[in-house]
Amino acid sequence: MAPDVSLVLRFVCYRLDADSAAIVTVATQFFSTLIPEGMMGALESASDAILAARSADGDTLAFAILVRRHAPYLRAFAIRLTGSSADADDAVQEALISAWGALPTLEDFSKVRAWLLSILSRKATDRIRQRKPSAELDEERAEDVELGPEQRAIATSRLDALSAVLERLPEGQKQCWVLKEVGGYSYEEIATELGMTPQTVRGKLARARATVVREMEEWR
Amino acid sequence: MNSDGDTDGDTDSDIGGSGYSLEQLADYLYRGRTPPIPEIDENAECQAMLDSLERLGTLSSELVSKDALDAPGVDETWLATLLATIGREVRAGRDIPYAATNPNTRLTITEGAIRELVRAAGDSVDGVLVGTCSIEGDLDGGGDAGEGDVAESTITVSLTISVVLSAPVTTLAQAVRERVHSELLKHTELHVSAINVTVVDVHMLTTAIEDES
Repeated sequence: MAPDVSLVLRFVCYRLDADSAAIVTVATQFFSTLIPEGMMGALESASDAILAARSADGDTLAFAILVRRHAPYLRAFAIRLTGSSADADDAVQEALISAWGALPTLEDFSKVRAWLLSILSRKATDRIRQRKPSAELDEERAEDVELGPEQRAIATSRLDALSAVLERLPEGQKQCWVLKEVGGYSYEEIATELGMTPQTVRGKLARARATVVREMEEWR
Repeated sequence: MNSDGDTDGDTDSDIGGSGYSLEQLADYLYRGRTPPIPEIDENAECQAMLDSLERLGTLSSELVSKDALDAPGVDETWLATLLATIGREVRAGRDIPYAATNPNTRLTITEGAIRELVRAAGDSVDGVLVGTCSIEGDLDGGGDAGEGDVAESTITVSLTISVVLSAPVTTLAQAVRERVHSELLKHTELHVSAINVTVVDVHMLTTAIEDES
């Protein structure tokens, strides 16, 4: 196990010039070098709650495993939401960095994935708002989307078909749909995130829903 | 036609003659179909539409999960950079002094280091993973303890653990308490009055238990 820290410290002090005031502190990272090899494997089987709790206490190894476990989903969500893998990557990175800082405030560690998703949603919608100062642009575009027969033929599965329909939705509608159906947010929450009124969100979702239902009819 | 809040199209405003629009059906679904609305619950077309909406919601989530599965694994370079960034923000916590023999020297260990010590001690018990670890009590004996005078303060250590059900839980918890206590005695001058262990989780081992001596 670990060497006796207080003995090590005393030795360090002995070697220092005894007349000069010295402050010697054992920092947090001291012990991380002593983590046995098998620890990694055991940690990989730990629940989200345990990993989040350890991360909150400053265990970067646990955080690394948490990130490796959830980053692909977070990134996929951000790509669907922003429609841009560059924006998605930036948003995921920012979200994870601020999550690390905020982890000690997380009350229920077992809900860490949903919590990460909510931080990511904010970071991703920040980017959306930055790149398009006015959501009004959306209104000028055709609000009704209809796929041609050739586009329908390409889809070989329900998931492909839905993917194609979502990609063709006006951006604002798609964002509302993803936040609502995948993120599970309320109209009010989505409105805050996207800087719209709840009524606008309601309207966009209604149009998105009508399109998705109509286009997906044959896949029922 | 683009006015917000209105569903457009006649077909969407009255599903199956129920008098309810597609949007109202969706709201009903989001509310968990409560309180029950007989006009919707007894209308076949409404039911089909509700099922369809529900499926599309599920399918949307599946789409993101599938994207995640199809994506290449996490980029290790990216992860290393991320960890380097967050590693700069160390959770050191309070400084805990050691009794110094030389008045010019101040020896301290950070609370974070002690938490790490406790965590490593708990983890070293086969089949145990430590979750949170908190240290309650007067760590510096009050005031500036830099003058080599550590008061007789006592602390309470509380930790949560996840266990593999390889041994009775109480045996594992007891082993954790003993291991943590002996490590704290060895490395610190803290007076430990209690070590509380709470088992919060059970995990499966994906690798063989490390033989530890």
